[in-house]
Amino acid sequence: MTTMNLLRATRGLGGIAVTLLGLLVLTFLIGRVMPVDPVLAVVGPDADRSTYEQVRRDMGLDRPLAAQFGSYLGGLAQGDLGRALLTGNPVATDLARVLPATVELATLAIGIGTLLGVPLGVLAATHHRRWPDHLARIVGLLGHSTPVFWFGMMGLLVFYAWLGWAGGIGRISLAFEGTVPSRTGLLLVDALLAGDLAAFRSALRHLLLPACVLGLHSMAYLSRMTRAFMLAQLSQEYITTARVKGLSERQVVWGHAFRNIRVQLLTILALAYGGLLEGAVLVETVFGWPGFGSYLTDSLLLGDMNAVMGAVLVVGVLFVALNLGADALYRVFDPRAQA
Amino acid sequence: MPSSLMLRRRHLPAVAGALAAGVGAASAQADDAAHDQLLVGMSMNNLLSLDPAAATGLDALAVACNLYDHLLETDAADTTRLLPGLAEAWTVADDGRALQFRLRSGPAFAGGRPVTARDAAWSLQRVLRLNLAPATVWKSYGFSAANVDALVRAPDDRMLQISLPQPTDPTLVLATLATSMSACVLDRDAVLAQARGQDLGQAWLTTHAAGSGAFTLEAWRPKELLTLLRAPAHWRGPARLRRVVLRHMTESQTLRLMLTRGDLDVAGGLSAPDIRALARRPDLVVERVRRGNLYYLAVNARRGPFTDERVRRAVLRHLIDFQGLDASVLPFYGELQQRPVPPGLPASLPQPGYRLDVAEARRLLAEAGLAGGFDTTIRVIAESPFTAIATSVQATLAQAGIRAAILPGTGNQVYGAMRERSFDLVVGRGGGGSEPHPHSSLRALLYNPDNRDSARLSNFQGWRTGHADAVLNGLIEQALLERDAERQRALYQQAQARADGVVGGLQPIAQVLDTQVLRRVVQGYVGHPAGATRLHGVHKVAAAGVVA
Repeated sequence: MTTMNLLRATRGLGGIAVTLLGLLVLTFLIGRVMPVDPVLAVVGPDADRSTYEQVRRDMGLDRPLAAQFGSYLGGLAQGDLGRALLTGNPVATDLARVLPATVELATLAIGIGTLLGVPLGVLAATHHRRWPDHLARIVGLLGHSTPVFWFGMMGLLVFYAWLGWAGGIGRISLAFEGTVPSRTGLLLVDALLAGDLAAFRSALRHLLLPACVLGLHSMAYLSRMTRAFMLAQLSQEYITTARVKGLSERQVVWGHAFRNIRVQLLTILALAYGGLLEGAVLVETVFGWPGFGSYLTDSLLLGDMNAVMGAVLVVGVLFVALNLGADALYRVFDPRAQA
Repeated sequence: MPSSLMLRRRHLPAVAGALAAGVGAASAQADDAAHDQLLVGMSMNNLLSLDPAAATGLDALAVACNLYDHLLETDAADTTRLLPGLAEAWTVADDGRALQFRLRSGPAFAGGRPVTARDAAWSLQRVLRLNLAPATVWKSYGFSAANVDALVRAPDDRMLQISLPQPTDPTLVLATLATSMSACVLDRDAVLAQARGQDLGQAWLTTHAAGSGAFTLEAWRPKELLTLLRAPAHWRGPARLRRVVLRHMTESQTLRLMLTRGDLDVAGGLSAPDIRALARRPDLVVERVRRGNLYYLAVNARRGPFTDERVRRAVLRHLIDFQGLDASVLPFYGELQQRPVPPGLPASLPQPGYRLDVAEARRLLAEAGLAGGFDTTIRVIAESPFTAIATSVQATLAQAGIRAAILPGTGNQVYGAMRERSFDLVVGRGGGGSEPHPHSSLRALLYNPDNRDSARLSNFQGWRTGHADAVLNGLIEQALLERDAERQRALYQQAQARADGVVGGLQPIAQVLDTQVLRRVVQGYVGHPAGATRLHGVHKVAAAGVVA
């Protein structure tokens, strides 16, 4: 590695560390000004003063803010994210449990969104101002403007209550809850590893509907963005040249125009995936999905700052990782970035 | 196109069909697996710990009473009737200051060790040593970490003796032993084996259990899932259900859909419209259990216009549409109750008959020099039915010219402000009532022995509302010490009459109802008013088209 590369990498890592530290400071300060009393969450509204004061001391909340934050950073340096009020577990253990549930849901959702949204956007762009374009725009508008919880409720009503195709809420039927040993945290994978096909089918039945609901939302966004990127490319002179050269429309669209929007698409895909990982709270609530978004929201409402800071840190790391991943793929798709 | 890909394409419909059939079969397999399991959907928002010395709230007790045994129990149909639990017999000394329990032989903890009186004594001592929320009730009887070892003793494995440090009604203490989370009997050895430092096993017991109940804790993922497994041996015989699954669900519509699909057996926390719709179904049954606590409107009697008794009377007695709320907002959530002592106890009195009377309220406000009304705020938990009650109160206050802004928040924010006396009006829920004894409610709602801000008696709602009445306090204290049942009842009735006359800071609106919807295939489920619903005898029967 050259000195220049080393410098660049060090600068990049430093930037990431500063970003994450800033995120933690901001979250810590916001947590302290929120009108939520974590002590009250622990002792309940009817505890007497001596119990209240004792628990407050035990939680370290009687110490100055700087000391509290310093202790947190000290623990963090040793890989200790603290213990969550909400669950009584180490925050790291909680995150290891809730994150795979969201990853499973968000990954399938982004897959559905991409497989439907990108071709739809291309179709709209290649049929600009004709009926496929209008249809794609209506679908996009509906998907984007309809509240995701409404989609979820309607989906449950139709596909679960009326037709019985989908599973109910949760990751698996209640009768199977707790019967699959957790190895990866991804229930589909764990059920297969355990050789429990009944549990696998139940988990799949429960996953498909919320993933489709989230996926449709992503599809709307991805199709609109793809359409816009493609329209910009299709009006370029090199496209006209390609057509004049006698290339087939398929080669022009997929071989030339689409190749040039891959980098832009990667960026919005990474952002959309990151958004799904941290922000699927409404779908998680409607479908009783015990995921990351619900954990973060519940912790926030409880004033459980160890859990909130741990979750925020994970969100920060996820976005950084997704951006780094996208950067790496730029180099694959864009020869100019390889230089 | 490569032939392998073509082959795969040809097989796609078959693969899709097999997948669909498999997915469909999953439902039937889930039904098969559920025939000896009770599937419960409920909110676990208030279930933060399972440690009997730390946990608060009825949801925790509902779980704990199936993991642990109490020395005594109360009859769900008549909560004033004490039943034997781990203790097969008990006596109260003539002076009412000493209780003695003889434990039955036979009960054993999940680990196999026999339950002894020493475990029972240690469990109570632990509550006081940890000094967390459940210790509050014991401290009110005069127990403390310093004296509990001397006052709670086990001379041998089957005898437990409790000496009361200060005069009190022993029936109240017995009721606490039968209904409080803090009175669960723990396996001392199992807990101490998991203790870290001086925590007496608190961190471990937050998510584990060490009891002798009819079930053991299989798994608990807070705010997600809790599963109980039938204990291999219980002194009452094995539970009829193999497994109980409690799932955290807060969306009423989702609960409703799952009930109608047969994917849930019991659902709690449904909205009134959903319960109303489900009540019409022949395969479901609606169960209502009256709790000891209340929905109320509280005012801060130390703040602004509410310092004037006439204003409090106008607001609390004449500007609440009690009957309208009872008819339209509270069905399934509560039933009309205007007195602090719940109905059904010997000292209970008939309703005083308060009703909306805007003209009288206006007259009182004019007398207080507030004919033009005033601006104020109502703090309220942003959930049903609190917001509906607050909206109704806001509307009726407006009829008398009082302009109230609603400040919605979480329970933490609303009760936090109340504990700090930093509120004008609060629509809340609370008021003791766990023990079937008038003192439980009067102490929680009206008793206020020291009204100074510096006293910080924030566990008393009387202190929170900033109202103290020496006569009322005296009556509550005197009644507690009265050993003659008739005279005690008369004193409690005098206390209620006094509360009627002085207009304190809190007005009950309704007794809380806990409404659950059950599938008819569930048999033997009896909701307990104190939250101690034991599932030992619950089972499911096959019904055509419902259970495989």
